[in-house]
Amino acid sequence: MNVFSSQSRLRSVATTLAVALTLTLAAAAGCDSRKEPDLPTVQEKMRESHIYGQSKLRIGVATNEPLMGDLRNGQHVGFDVEIGRYIAASLGYEGEQQLEFVSAATEDRIPYLQGGTVDLVVSSFSMTEERKKLVSFAGPYFVTTQEVLVPVRLKDKIRTLEDLRDPAYKVCTTGGSTTEGELEKRQVKALVVKDVWDCVAGIRAGRYDAVSSDETILAGFLATYPKEFEIVDLPFGTSELLGIGVPIGDPALRDLVAYFLQKSYQQGRDGQASPWLTAYNRTLGPWLRAEKSQPQPLEVPKLVDFDDKAPRR
Amino acid sequence: MSTAPTATGDASADGPVPPPRASVPTDHVEVDAAGWPTGVPRAEPAVPVADVEQVPVRWDPAERRARASQSFWTAVVGVPAIFSVLRLGVEAGGELQTTLLLVANVGPVNLLAGFLTTAARLLSTGLVAVFALGAVLAVSVDRLPPGTLRRPLFARWADLTPAWVVVASFLLALLTWPLLYLPLLLPAFAAAFQLRPDRLHEWVLPRLSAIAALLAGYGWLMLPTLRDAVEQGSERLVLVLIVVPPLLALFIAGPLPGMVIRPLASLTEVAVLAMLVWAALPVISTPVLPLTVTTVGAENGPTEDVRGHVVTTDDVNMVILQERGGVRYVPVDLVRAQVLCPTEEELPRHRLRIHDFHIEDSLLEGMGRRVRPVHRIDAACRIPH
Repeated sequence: MNVFSSQSRLRSVATTLAVALTLTLAAAAGCDSRKEPDLPTVQEKMRESHIYGQSKLRIGVATNEPLMGDLRNGQHVGFDVEIGRYIAASLGYEGEQQLEFVSAATEDRIPYLQGGTVDLVVSSFSMTEERKKLVSFAGPYFVTTQEVLVPVRLKDKIRTLEDLRDPAYKVCTTGGSTTEGELEKRQVKALVVKDVWDCVAGIRAGRYDAVSSDETILAGFLATYPKEFEIVDLPFGTSELLGIGVPIGDPALRDLVAYFLQKSYQQGRDGQASPWLTAYNRTLGPWLRAEKSQPQPLEVPKLVDFDDKAPRR
Repeated sequence: MSTAPTATGDASADGPVPPPRASVPTDHVEVDAAGWPTGVPRAEPAVPVADVEQVPVRWDPAERRARASQSFWTAVVGVPAIFSVLRLGVEAGGELQTTLLLVANVGPVNLLAGFLTTAARLLSTGLVAVFALGAVLAVSVDRLPPGTLRRPLFARWADLTPAWVVVASFLLALLTWPLLYLPLLLPAFAAAFQLRPDRLHEWVLPRLSAIAALLAGYGWLMLPTLRDAVEQGSERLVLVLIVVPPLLALFIAGPLPGMVIRPLASLTEVAVLAMLVWAALPVISTPVLPLTVTTVGAENGPTEDVRGHVVTTDDVNMVILQERGGVRYVPVDLVRAQVLCPTEEELPRHRLRIHDFHIEDSLLEGMGRRVRPVHRIDAACRIPH
């Protein structure tokens, strides 16, 4: 009898505890449901970035790199331009009135970002340690290699780096580009001009014999003059990571751009038509020798957005 | 008035003074049990005498139930109606003319449906809390200290409510609560129906194995989520909310000790009331109309984005209640585009899923997302207006 009553007492204590704990948990759940999200949200980053409230977004692009950034009949076209459009649209800037493309030559890219002439630069901008001291990068959105474009008449003569070092051939490249440093490192003497376009025009005029630059840029010129040029695959052994340049003082904008690149990357991985793939197929795709896919962006912040609840599968 | 006989036919023949009723020869006149001759009509009073005399001392159960049902339906119709009107006032920014504009344009059905979509969660929470607490208190009342007159309020409510209403409340909660809070329904259900583990089987061994199987099933369902929560580190509450409630469900049924019943009853009554008021505030301030961004501007001219709720559109104007207050009449010809936007309250607070269902979605919302899986927020919603 005694055992029975002590058992029943134990039970009622257990019940009391269970009731009390359930009530506490329910209260905690109630408080939790009214709490502000502590994860950083896209909206929050928008408010932190310098473009918040700005009526127009200015993106620096190239205007003389066919397939990447080109000006055709007054319209900006190319892979970089499409990527810029995607990022701008994701940030809430769509259409002529809200988005302005600013022509930025290769050496203007960093000063423009530093001086606030543009908010973003999408212009075959290689992410290098040197540049990271001056501007921030979101990306990469493309991985390219350094190649050499030669006129068809020289395609059998220039096949190796050794051939490039031959003083008989005048190699041309752009100032302030990663290629310039790379050629220097390999003791290839190059003539430095402002744009790749100058090199191509120079080759066509007979002033130069080869031009070295990113495969993407060279593919653009190959697309423009398919019968006059050929790309020579030289073992430079370095790959260029193209990123979107952001002012170094605006980490929130960098995070947002990286987040939207990641979103496109994720869509591509899920087998959907990603904005990246659409841009690629419309521009570079047909002209590159090997099929490429979007590289995974680096240092992507985990941001909360409205569509986070959507099913993943 | 009396039921005693006054004049009878044959009796007068016996003499001038009518003899007492008992002496009336029964072989002449047949009388019923009350001594009333059969075949003689009775004068019935217009109002039943018994009722007049017993003026309402106590309701009989049927009448009590009828009155309860009347108040129930009054509440069911009245509370949403009052809430909806209050919401319109809040939505209009407290401006009388704007409130009148909304009243003129928002149909009662829309208003009620809008209210129910936002308040179903609150309603089911209130009902589940009352029924679970009521059942716990009800089984404990015989342990109340002697001399206690009234049973706790929730216990009386729980006793009055038919089981199907309780089940329906739990079903509503199951469908509308965020998945994260659903484990709490387990102890609440066990409490409301006083389900003890010994109801599973009379022997200990099968009982334990049944409990183990149930917990294992639950574990299989929750394990990936728990792993993610552990990895994310800051999700301690989620861990507790998932792990603890099923264990509590095992012990929650049964009577409470006498000394805690009174304080628990009073405390929970106040807490449930406070919870309802606290949770009702956001329900009142939830917008009635959907949030949109409307791009306005003449052809080829500059455009402007108006962020707000579209009240109505006619042939001439689109009436927009701006998010920052004030009503805009936009000529229909100038409307270039319009997109639907989410509000910041809809942002998720966790990044955890239970088998691809987001833990902050209810089952209904989760199923809805499977019907329309892709939801893209339009970028126009992001920039400030």
